[in-house]
Amino acid sequence: MKFRSSGYLIKEGFKNILNNRMMSLASIGVLISCLLITGAAIVTSLNARSFISSIGDENMITVYLDPEMSDIDALKLGAQIDKLDNVRSSEFYSKTKGIEEYKEKLGDELFASMQGDQNPLPHSYKVRLDDFSKYEETVKSLEKIDGVFNISNRSELAGKITKLNQLVTYVGIAAVIILGLVTLFIISNTVKMTMYTRRFEISIMKSVGATNAFVRIPFLVEGMAIGFISGILSSIIMIAIYDPVIQAIRNISYVIYEASIPISEIWPYIALAFLGSGILIGAIGSFISVSKYLKKEGGEILGW
Amino acid sequence: MIHFKNVSKVYPTGSKALDDVTLDISKGEFVFIVGPSGAGKSTFLKLIMREEEATSGEISVNGYNLVNIKKRKIPYLRRTMGIVFQDFRLIDKISVFDNVAFAMRAIGVSEKSVRKRVEYILALVGLSEKSARKPSELSGGEQQRVSLARALVNNPELIIADEPTGNIDPELSYEIMELLVEINKRGTTVIIVTHEHNLVNEFGGRIIKINNGKIVGDYIREVEQ
Repeated sequence: MKFRSSGYLIKEGFKNILNNRMMSLASIGVLISCLLITGAAIVTSLNARSFISSIGDENMITVYLDPEMSDIDALKLGAQIDKLDNVRSSEFYSKTKGIEEYKEKLGDELFASMQGDQNPLPHSYKVRLDDFSKYEETVKSLEKIDGVFNISNRSELAGKITKLNQLVTYVGIAAVIILGLVTLFIISNTVKMTMYTRRFEISIMKSVGATNAFVRIPFLVEGMAIGFISGILSSIIMIAIYDPVIQAIRNISYVIYEASIPISEIWPYIALAFLGSGILIGAIGSFISVSKYLKKEGGEILGW
Repeated sequence: MIHFKNVSKVYPTGSKALDDVTLDISKGEFVFIVGPSGAGKSTFLKLIMREEEATSGEISVNGYNLVNIKKRKIPYLRRTMGIVFQDFRLIDKISVFDNVAFAMRAIGVSEKSVRKRVEYILALVGLSEKSARKPSELSGGEQQRVSLARALVNNPELIIADEPTGNIDPELSYEIMELLVEINKRGTTVIIVTHEHNLVNEFGGRIIKINNGKIVGDYIREVEQ
């Protein structure tokens, strides 16, 4: 194809959108609905995952050190814990502080003799994890540190959270796949309807000797532009709705609200995903349906 | 420029549309293909345009061997011919000018050349005044002249007209036919498929009669112009 044609072909694509206003509007409407429904499923599942992992955050592991360890060695050990992969933060919890807490709860007398060197408690660290589902691995790494004596066992909770997390992920993926298929089905039908009214032009183009690429490009441009417009509008709608929904959840459950992903963090991904999939769906949809007609000849295209 | 040797065409339904047809049409000829409907005229045209493939035999058109032509070469074969359809096949959303220009733009001609050439061709078929109109605002005869202009605009060596007067008033048919004669005088080969005998009698030229998929007559009828 000659280079000078490309400008004309791209212009044709945009002109076609205006020439076939009703069909373009219908396609944009369908595409927006599909993007929003699928997008809502993804965002909901992301938030559910974020909520579940926040449950894990609330749960700290307590790492008890060797009771014989000196104060200075115990403090130094903190650096080693912090260096581990999955550790978000660690807080030193001295044995003096431990005995003070017992004294407050159970009374002075019982612990009077357990001051200073007589303190039977070990030093410990309160460790927060980045990802609670990696609990087991992190515990193993902690155990390898010289001077670590015992670790509070939370593996049952960790297992439950991990399972819940997986469940939400699978349900989310399944929902997105099903909605994606429904989307493809609706969109391919919309494109089919659009093409039906355009067969005539395709048959004329072929009869005057237009190459397949030449016939295809305006349709591709048209499909991609419709995808782009739908992507932008879907993003705007989604971003506009997202925050009010999150605020409404705040009134229902503050815990869920606190774990929700803030709009400022998620909007670039929403916009990018909507634009990308909108353009891709538009391009694939028009490519496939034009190809169907390009294979045919003359009257066949028109169904005669 | 058109060469058929022992060409047969059998459709998947089993109907034999052309049966062992051998024929040559040379550059500059003015040819009528006549015969009752279902005789094989449309199949003959479809084979020339390579909308259909022959079941057996050899076909070459304008230097292209249609037996082993590559798919991507077919558009270039079609650029060597201009086709006029019985039902005009004009796009009603766009103007007369754009309908004619469509054929040039579809093969990637620069917009400057398009403008010059389309104006010239529309003047030739007498439609300069109506270039901004939509096809539906024109009479049947005028629409067929637009269709003819579109067929001519890329300056093809061959014009194929499939029942060009089938959908228009008899008096307007003559205008179209006279235009085709004029085009032929300038050196373009013209093939007209028709079942209207009075047109054939009036204008003459080479007459090929087809019936039941076979050529049953091929002669030249001289007519005083």
